[in-house]
Amino acid sequence: MPDVAEPLLSVQHLKKYFPIHRGVFGRVAAHVKAVDDISFTINKGETFGLVGESGCGKTTAGRAILRLLEPDAGTIQFDGIDLLSLGKEQLRRKRRDMQIIFQDPYASLNPRMTIRTIVSEPFAIHHIARGSERNDRVADLLKTVGLDSSVMNRYPHEFSGGQRQRIGIARALALKPKLIVADEPVSALDVSIQAQIINLLADLQQQFGLTYLFISHAIPVIEHISTRIGVMYLGKLVEVGTSQQICTAPKHPYTQALLSAVPIPDPAARKERVVLRGDVPTPIDPPAGCRFHTRCPIAVDRCKIDEPPLRQIEDGRDAACHLV
Amino acid sequence: MTDERSECKPDAKRKRDSAQPQETLQPSRDVLEVKNLKTYFFTDEGIVKAVDDVSFRVPKGKTLGLVGESGCGKSITAMSITRLISPPGRIVGGEVLLNGRNLISLSEREMRQVRGAQISMIFQEPMTALNPVLTVGFQIAEAVSAHERVSKREAWARAVEAMKAVSIPDAEKRAKDYPHQLSGGMRQRIMIAMALVCHPALVIADEPTTALDVTIQAQILELLDSLRAQYQLSLILISHDLGVIAEVAETVAVMYAGKIVEIGAAMDVFHNPKHPYTQGLLRSVPRLGTSVEKRDRLYAIEGTVPNLLHLPGGCSFAPRCYKRTAECTLAEIPLERVAELHEVRCIHA
Repeated sequence: MPDVAEPLLSVQHLKKYFPIHRGVFGRVAAHVKAVDDISFTINKGETFGLVGESGCGKTTAGRAILRLLEPDAGTIQFDGIDLLSLGKEQLRRKRRDMQIIFQDPYASLNPRMTIRTIVSEPFAIHHIARGSERNDRVADLLKTVGLDSSVMNRYPHEFSGGQRQRIGIARALALKPKLIVADEPVSALDVSIQAQIINLLADLQQQFGLTYLFISHAIPVIEHISTRIGVMYLGKLVEVGTSQQICTAPKHPYTQALLSAVPIPDPAARKERVVLRGDVPTPIDPPAGCRFHTRCPIAVDRCKIDEPPLRQIEDGRDAACHLV
Repeated sequence: MTDERSECKPDAKRKRDSAQPQETLQPSRDVLEVKNLKTYFFTDEGIVKAVDDVSFRVPKGKTLGLVGESGCGKSITAMSITRLISPPGRIVGGEVLLNGRNLISLSEREMRQVRGAQISMIFQEPMTALNPVLTVGFQIAEAVSAHERVSKREAWARAVEAMKAVSIPDAEKRAKDYPHQLSGGMRQRIMIAMALVCHPALVIADEPTTALDVTIQAQILELLDSLRAQYQLSLILISHDLGVIAEVAETVAVMYAGKIVEIGAAMDVFHNPKHPYTQGLLRSVPRLGTSVEKRDRLYAIEGTVPNLLHLPGGCSFAPRCYKRTAECTLAEIPLERVAELHEVRCIHA
């Protein structure tokens, strides 16, 4: 990691709403507020972990940042450029620097393409390297992710989940990106394979100076790999801090509950936990005031009316709660 | 509501006892004993020994955790106990004793009376396990009418009561809901209510919380554990998640490539694992709250799970094992006792 923190990605007030159409004329009846005004920065060479439960908007945030989904509001500064101001062609060129690794290694590789075609597709799209040079590059990439270059002529179905995820990673690395958005990259893998892929991602970060936006619901995984962590609930960031701040001394009541719900692989560690009542409310009509107040164990009257902003509560840590 | 339930429970029990007098003759406190169970799949490419000589016991009111990675045979073990194996799979050997009665020798008709009434299952995906066009109350009531002579009204009342027992708020109203109207956590509660409504002796929960968020998972695990204590249920909990297993199981069995490689009290298996596979699994999961020393790499077991069609001779784990020697691959490795109630399938343990 560089000594001086230098931001690579700065996201300000990002919003992404999905319209819900109803009736014969498909009028817009409501919006799913998937990402509702989130801001954070990621420094060069660091891993920012975005954690939250299903439906909290973490995946939508990742995609909106890459403009795989068009954001509705906000700004995204990437490597000194305002991403949202780019035209189609400029964006396509800029995408070389930002890649994504998907969760499902079964759905993200085209079953009719050979591994050679899959991994060399980025070269084809961006007209880089041809013929034997392209072939050599693919072989190098496969070696980098721990696969033998002899696999090039095989098809995805011949590989296990872990190997497929390695292929997906090789494809993401092809254009030497600066930022990789990793969306639940190990969630579909077995425990023993998860560790292999997490180590590989850490090695590649060292080797190529990569910056990661790592999205996951698995808190121990996020803690292990991230430098800083952002916790999302119902489209909002509720707490942001260093990995250690968040995981050893969480301040927001939701972060506390989330951490306390994580089962520990040690029967002696069975503990009294903060079990949250109820379910996550719908993001179509989120609760007024603090979105977490309906499940919060310490909520007071003010939480039902006033929405707490994300504010700095100590060095390097922000939280959105009136009571911390 | 608890009063009503404790009144009705011994009643249902008496009915079952009178149907099977042999139950009371059994001196063993084990509700379930699985002995040398073998389930093979006879495929075109060859024989897959999905469950190969698996033995364990589940005492009354206790929880056995069955842990392993995908394809290790943990779900097939559960399906063999309930005899839900379909061709090309077949149970080729062993015994499954439920309160002393061997389920393997029962006819399909007799078995149907066992399923749902004496053994019930909770599956991973509550959305696919529920019928989308029937109300949840109807589906729970159906389970009652399938096994007991009760009126429709009574079956419905039992369904609502079971929904209350799994802490579904507003149970009378919710019983008229369809599955899509409920959240994932609520649907899993419905599945649990359905599993418990006939007061089974044994409940098999196959990855019951894998599809749920961690805060909901915590609710469901807590619920399962309190119901087990309240009704003296015997529970088999199947999971790939060591944390979930550690949370609720008294006894833990670790499976690899169709075999149990280590079995023992949860404390022993988690604190003093003897099999290199168990050790590797425990070391490869990142632990919460260890960020200070976390810059180390994770321990990773090399290689991948073997193809069950082409298992190596001797110990199936040998190719990935850091302790392997030439002897490991010579012959079948037996499960051997290393301490009181702690058995390990490794010659180097």
